[in-house]
Amino acid sequence: MRACKRAQLDDIVASVSTYRVVYLKITNSSVDSIVEKQGQSGELFVSKDKKVFFTELKTLNRDGVATSIRKTLQMMPKLQLKEDYYGIADKPFKHGGAHSYDRKLEQISCDALSDLANEAINSAISNGATNVAGTIVVGVSNHELATSNGFSSSAKGSSITASLRLFKGSISFQDAYASRVLKGINLDTMAKRSAETVSMTNRTGRIDRGAYDVIYLPSPAGSLMLNVTHAACMGDVETGSMLTGKLGKAVASKDLSIYDDGRISSGVASAPFDEEGTKTQRTSVIECGVLKNYLHNFSTATKYKTKSTGNAGLVRPRPWTLVFNHRKSSQSIDALIRSIDRGILITNTWYTRFSNYLTGDFSTVPRDLALYIENGEPKYAVKRGMHGLEHEMVGIRISDNIMRMLRSTERAANDARQTFSWDTDGYFFMPSILVRGAHVTVA
Amino acid sequence: MHIDESIADYVLSVAEKSGAEYAEAYLENSVSSGCAIEQGIFNGAYYSEGTGLRVRLVKNRRMFAFSTNKLNKEGIARAIRSFHGFKGIDTALSNEKALNVRCAVNERKKIEDASMLDDLSDMDKALAGIKCLEYKSLYGGVGRSVTYFSNSEGSAVRCSVPYISAVMSLIVKNGRETRQSVMQFGNTGGYELFNAQAVTETLVEKATSMNRVLEKGVTLSRDSLHRIKNVVLAPEITGIAAHESIGHPCEADRVFGRESAQAGSSYLTKDNLGMAIGSSKVNIIDDPTIVNSNGFFLYDDEGIRARPKTLIKNGVQTELLANRSYAQTLGMHSNGSSRSDSYSNEPLIRMSNTYLQAGDADFDELLEEAGNGIYLKSFMEWNIDDTRSFSRYQGNEAYLIRNGSICEPVKNFVLEKSTLDFWHAVRLVGKEREFYVGTCGKGEPQQGVPVTMGGASALLTFR
Repeated sequence: MRACKRAQLDDIVASVSTYRVVYLKITNSSVDSIVEKQGQSGELFVSKDKKVFFTELKTLNRDGVATSIRKTLQMMPKLQLKEDYYGIADKPFKHGGAHSYDRKLEQISCDALSDLANEAINSAISNGATNVAGTIVVGVSNHELATSNGFSSSAKGSSITASLRLFKGSISFQDAYASRVLKGINLDTMAKRSAETVSMTNRTGRIDRGAYDVIYLPSPAGSLMLNVTHAACMGDVETGSMLTGKLGKAVASKDLSIYDDGRISSGVASAPFDEEGTKTQRTSVIECGVLKNYLHNFSTATKYKTKSTGNAGLVRPRPWTLVFNHRKSSQSIDALIRSIDRGILITNTWYTRFSNYLTGDFSTVPRDLALYIENGEPKYAVKRGMHGLEHEMVGIRISDNIMRMLRSTERAANDARQTFSWDTDGYFFMPSILVRGAHVTVA
Repeated sequence: MHIDESIADYVLSVAEKSGAEYAEAYLENSVSSGCAIEQGIFNGAYYSEGTGLRVRLVKNRRMFAFSTNKLNKEGIARAIRSFHGFKGIDTALSNEKALNVRCAVNERKKIEDASMLDDLSDMDKALAGIKCLEYKSLYGGVGRSVTYFSNSEGSAVRCSVPYISAVMSLIVKNGRETRQSVMQFGNTGGYELFNAQAVTETLVEKATSMNRVLEKGVTLSRDSLHRIKNVVLAPEITGIAAHESIGHPCEADRVFGRESAQAGSSYLTKDNLGMAIGSSKVNIIDDPTIVNSNGFFLYDDEGIRARPKTLIKNGVQTELLANRSYAQTLGMHSNGSSRSDSYSNEPLIRMSNTYLQAGDADFDELLEEAGNGIYLKSFMEWNIDDTRSFSRYQGNEAYLIRNGSICEPVKNFVLEKSTLDFWHAVRLVGKEREFYVGTCGKGEPQQGVPVTMGGASALLTFR
């Protein structure tokens, strides 16, 4: 900060993160390997006369930082203006609330982590699974931020996340849990529940292409809905997203609300301040079906004559944790199943790809157990395989539109929790949801 | 860019004294810079530089990896000494010859002298005149990775690889309809390889052709789509299919379940290796040694000499992509397929440049043989299931073929087939090859590595 101030720059944001993350991998019902990452990283954002520059400081010794700053200052004059740049957040800075932090995660050993993994594996196998894969990841970090407008603070973070994929015969099931504290995840219970789900049927059968009512469990539901908060970020809005031009308009079922929340105490991704020192907040993106807010940093908020939502990202705003709310969410997942005449319970998706991000058209592939439901009863797992030459069914795919999903999400279950998906970058507090009339293709 | 190789020597010494059966040190110094122009507005520039270390040990037959950018010897030694193993899988590595080699990619115009900002500005100006273009985002950057690998078996591999990378996103609008394309460009080598004029022409052509599809495209009925039996695929489609439904399933770690909870499994198992995947016309190669390609490397991240791998020969699966661990499982030598996206992540079995090998047919011959059908030139959306058994490629540019000639564009053609149906339908393969740049994701945390996909055009006839 001192070195940059001497250069008489307009805006300066400097941050340093110290971290330790340990990844444990489970393969074929055994602990496969452990990877530990430790380090320090820094980021520097500077502006001068509407020229903006971002520097990643990977080597945080005095020489490394001095070299990076020197190169930054050499490059600045060559830049073009960012004509729509309006500065960084200024005083008064409010202090965000504290978040859960677990010291036990600071020094967790490889032995302790492998013990946790082996307990989960044993629980899954003893409850009926025949094979287990997965990851357990623990991490701690300290993030310090200072700006030329006088903000200076730090925030600690801790997390444990677990993703287990269980197999039994031709059926598989994957679930994921996330918490800021070690006790927030009971791996034994998680493994047991997953084993019960993967064991719920050994019958498989085929379905025809067509429209189905679909129940998405929390992980796939959140994975799809996370596209909404990404599409609400001002950078995406400006370069064309499914929410561009829809502010203030009805975009979803009137029972549905989606929030972006950076302050939620138990949120793995939560932080008290954003990347320019603005206190994080809960922002209504969709409130009772209406698109209420885009997500801003100070500069984009000033450009559009509104207030920052605490979502800097210095160059582009970014979302925090998605929190989903549905007025009709008092029922159990079993009650949701009973409300379906012809439908599918989707337990996991991946490879969600947009054919048109501006309209929200996408397709996604159910990765694990997809349970066919008829007249309110689970019938069988939808068959998967690779019998193409015999023209037998090899699997299903959902082709839908995010905006249509938002309008057709009729109700949610009472099972909301914090989870994530390997296929998506982010966390969400999400229940299972019932979406009417999704188009399913069969290959 | 300087790497202090003595740190690697220190790592190996400490590891040996702590009882490790095997140890390796991988030091990386990386520098990168880039900029972005979105909707005609310059959106800032970035610069990044740093050095980091990855250590991998096998101790008490267990694999442990440790990475850090805090290169103080005390901390590194503490991490190595504190690992004693865990209750889990035995790790054994294939026996390989130790190498002492250097690899430096030539560059006529140093990436430090790159003019990416000027080039992106020129592109943006060229695109400004295209009225149908509703949204445009241009990102470009250059970088250099200097690495030093050494292991307890005596290998010492020094590499220096400069690279160029760009991503362009276009959305065109015609009336109420829109269509989008995201294109990547990339090479390893000097900045002379970034042909800004050619990239500009590609972008203009892409915007124009997407608009043509919106303006003149027909929407076929479900019955008409169902009746289509002959499909000519351009290299963009054969390439993504080779990558997704052949390359990934041929990664040995997927075959043996190590990616089950992350990037997925494979239709190949230890019991069906060598199965027939496609017609005798199908030959698919993964070749990291293509000079200046986006997926280029001569030595992998375990210090093994890279080489071309024939994944499919005359329709039959032949070789898996392997690292030292799975080479040992398979009773073979590593074929040099171990890559990481940075020092901070573990190396995984990865593809490089994966392609459908050229055949002997002229492009006109493919159309002529098709008679009536579809020419699928580019795709918008694609996906594939966990075992890589069925995939979908939604046409961005697709055209009707009538009497062997390319006719009007089709708006709604989607190719959704099982892997076996797809590759067994290959009847003719074209002579010419084209390559497309991509980034391939895998692992936990997810790592993106640069690849190319492509090869020849092909005629597929479905039953």
